[in-house]
Amino acid sequence: MNTLLASTGMVSDSMGPANMLLSNFVFPNDLHVHWSMMIVLYPYITGLVDGAFIIAALYYLFDVKSLRPVARFSLLFALAFLAIATLPLLLHLGRPERNLNMLLTPSPSSAMAGFGYIYAVSMGVLVFIILFIYRPVLVELRSTSKGWLQLLYRAITFDSIDLSDDALKLDAKIIRFLVAIGIPIAAVLHGYVGFIFGGVKANPTWSTPLMPVIFLFSACVSGISAIILAYIIIRKFKARPIDNGCIITMIKTLTGFFILAFSFEMLEVFSHSYLKSGYHHMVEGLLNGVLANSFWFWQVKIGSVLPLLVLGLMGIVKMRSYVYNFLAAGVSAILLIQVLIMRWNVVIGGQLMSKSARGYTEFHPLWFDKEGIIAVIIVMAIPFAILFVLGKIFPFWAEDKEG
Amino acid sequence: MRLVLVCISILVMVGLGFLFKRLLRPDSFGVYGSYRADAINEALEVPIRHGTNGSCFKCHPFEAKIHKAGLHKTISCEFCHGTYADHVEGDKKTGTLPVKTGDQITTLCLRCHNTEIKARSEEVIKTVAMPDHLRDQQVKLTHTCNQCHHVHAPLKYINRAKQITGLMEKG
Amino acid sequence: MKINDPSPDMKKRSFLKNVLNGTIAGSLYLVYPMGAGSLETLEQIPGIGDGAYDIHAQEFTFIVDITRCIGCGSCCVADKREYNVPDGNYRTWVERYVKGFSDQIYVDCPNGGLDGYQTPRSDIKEEIRDTFFVPKLCNMCKEAPCVQVCPVGATFITPDGFVLVDEKRCVGCAYCIQACPYSVRFINPVTRVVEKCTWCYHRVRKGLLPACVEVCPTGARKFGSLKDETSEVYKILKGPGVLTVLRKEMGTWPALYYKGARREVV
Repeated sequence: MNTLLASTGMVSDSMGPANMLLSNFVFPNDLHVHWSMMIVLYPYITGLVDGAFIIAALYYLFDVKSLRPVARFSLLFALAFLAIATLPLLLHLGRPERNLNMLLTPSPSSAMAGFGYIYAVSMGVLVFIILFIYRPVLVELRSTSKGWLQLLYRAITFDSIDLSDDALKLDAKIIRFLVAIGIPIAAVLHGYVGFIFGGVKANPTWSTPLMPVIFLFSACVSGISAIILAYIIIRKFKARPIDNGCIITMIKTLTGFFILAFSFEMLEVFSHSYLKSGYHHMVEGLLNGVLANSFWFWQVKIGSVLPLLVLGLMGIVKMRSYVYNFLAAGVSAILLIQVLIMRWNVVIGGQLMSKSARGYTEFHPLWFDKEGIIAVIIVMAIPFAILFVLGKIFPFWAEDKEG
Repeated sequence: MRLVLVCISILVMVGLGFLFKRLLRPDSFGVYGSYRADAINEALEVPIRHGTNGSCFKCHPFEAKIHKAGLHKTISCEFCHGTYADHVEGDKKTGTLPVKTGDQITTLCLRCHNTEIKARSEEVIKTVAMPDHLRDQQVKLTHTCNQCHHVHAPLKYINRAKQITGLMEKG
Repeated sequence: MKINDPSPDMKKRSFLKNVLNGTIAGSLYLVYPMGAGSLETLEQIPGIGDGAYDIHAQEFTFIVDITRCIGCGSCCVADKREYNVPDGNYRTWVERYVKGFSDQIYVDCPNGGLDGYQTPRSDIKEEIRDTFFVPKLCNMCKEAPCVQVCPVGATFITPDGFVLVDEKRCVGCAYCIQACPYSVRFINPVTRVVEKCTWCYHRVRKGLLPACVEVCPTGARKFGSLKDETSEVYKILKGPGVLTVLRKEMGTWPALYYKGARREVV
């Protein structure tokens, strides 16, 4: 408070920014933070889906051959997370039994109403892509299984055992097409979440046209980091070799996306603080006050500047592959956490500002709430369980098929 | 062949989806706009709990006469005594509303008439400070407000007393 | 000194009550028709109670007069009683603004103003220049951001200009709560759906004033139809003088106007 007073030099004006925060007045209905940790998780999960999909798209559509080792895995990873994307939302809703209302009577002016259809379409496209890619594997499995399992395999291979060259070429074309339409769909899947926030004029941190862009780019960052980290960990665990070229390509993509994401995040903060429009003192009071540690230290310094430096180092200095891979894993881990912290700062941090423009409320995460810490851990653990099961049906790595 | 099967399965799913949506969509949706018009009628069924002062006066003419002639005529009976719905349903009395006594009255009076809260303009309401007011009026400091002021018409007895002592003209 | 001089009627009633106390016969005596009639005969907004209500031809407005609010909290109490609002949530509330001689503004709202303001603020170290009260309630925006963002069409603007919540449709996503610049919405912990001030739609449709307007002793809250040229709100709105709205820069076009609001009010 004192720094604000000193910095503005407008102490005597009753409407100056310093005076606004003096009584820390929060509207009575603003004390409770309504969008809690589940709403922090939902953009994070769809972001992971998007980032993983980008890796697959780079291979299947843009023919970046060095990404072949992880292309299939990233699609399965995306599917595992997309499968539980509705779970945090259902846990958050006051009336989850009415969730179908979003599909039955979506309001045309609401960004959130798009959820049901966008989710259904993106799930459909992703499932079809995976089925087409794994068709040869599934056809083989069909021929070696019996009973209802065989029926299942027949169904998901569309009752076809044609594995001729022509058929496979057609498959490849279909996959390209599906991935091509999958990219804008994935962009909308996470972009609309950014717009949910960006379209709220009542909240000074959220209402900016840059919000969907920031969300999308940081989503790609989180997804790519997840693939890098998962790849390295799983391969190390199974004592299999790591394809260094793949890691290098992924790190380069990651660097590109991260520079964009970080630039936009910082542009957002600095342009608001320069323009000084509206109740900007609220945002500054938030970022320099309650969120100072979470934003400036963890999100920016440790979570962004440090990885930028490391990525820069990895791009410029020649190093041995095991050092490179180690740094890659480290940077990915940090960035995964950074994106989560960014979501936290935006979603929960944004709600800490009261609409009275005069105070901040507090958020205390609970352990045993339906939106509590235990619930968050469980929700984030489920996709890994799904991934494990998927790995039993669809082999993760392309070369496993051959060897 | 496969492609045909794929396309058919997609069309079937989409078709089922639209059918599902058509079936489950509430009837009154879209009458006035993108919402359920029946909700307006449901909003009308919220039970009315407060009456008006007039609804109290219909059964309490004695208090009505006093209340309407005093400075408290703008105060709602229900604020001090409780809601109409807690007392009457249809034409029958269903409960007894509380009457405040003693110190409760003083607290309630000071809620509006406390001069310490400097936001009350004297044009809108007369305020006093306690216990200064009691000292100024030279009464015991344990007096409650209703020992001098009629709660329904605060100046009723004050004016009468002034008329009796000649401080105020009669009438 | 006996303050209340009971009428003969009252004496008879209390006698009967004392004698027949507790017996069924006694309670029956208290149940005789009181001649109350129904509330419908006590119309306060002209032209609504009788016959047809054209939902497309209404124009209601609410005016809050800051110069007359004494912070008694009657409105908050009446509102809580009318709707059984759970503790900690407020459909309407009254804020206190205190201005010091150094031009610092201190705002508070203990318990939403439900207990009124019985004591001055003890934590202000400087001399106080001015104090005033600001009642807050739903602004019934003509371009309501809450209606815009509701994903399922559970909150909507009726043809007569009221923003209402369809409690059967609401899924409790709380998007409208984020979107409202005035923080008038909350999630009811019992029903787990969104609730807010409705300008007492169920009362207005029967020709009664909203509960908070009904109980306001100083006329700080005023409600009426702009189709009625004799109403107080018509005269204020169409006459000279300054009326303001809250958060004009949000572009919500509220139907709630403030008379005498100061620039410090947000």
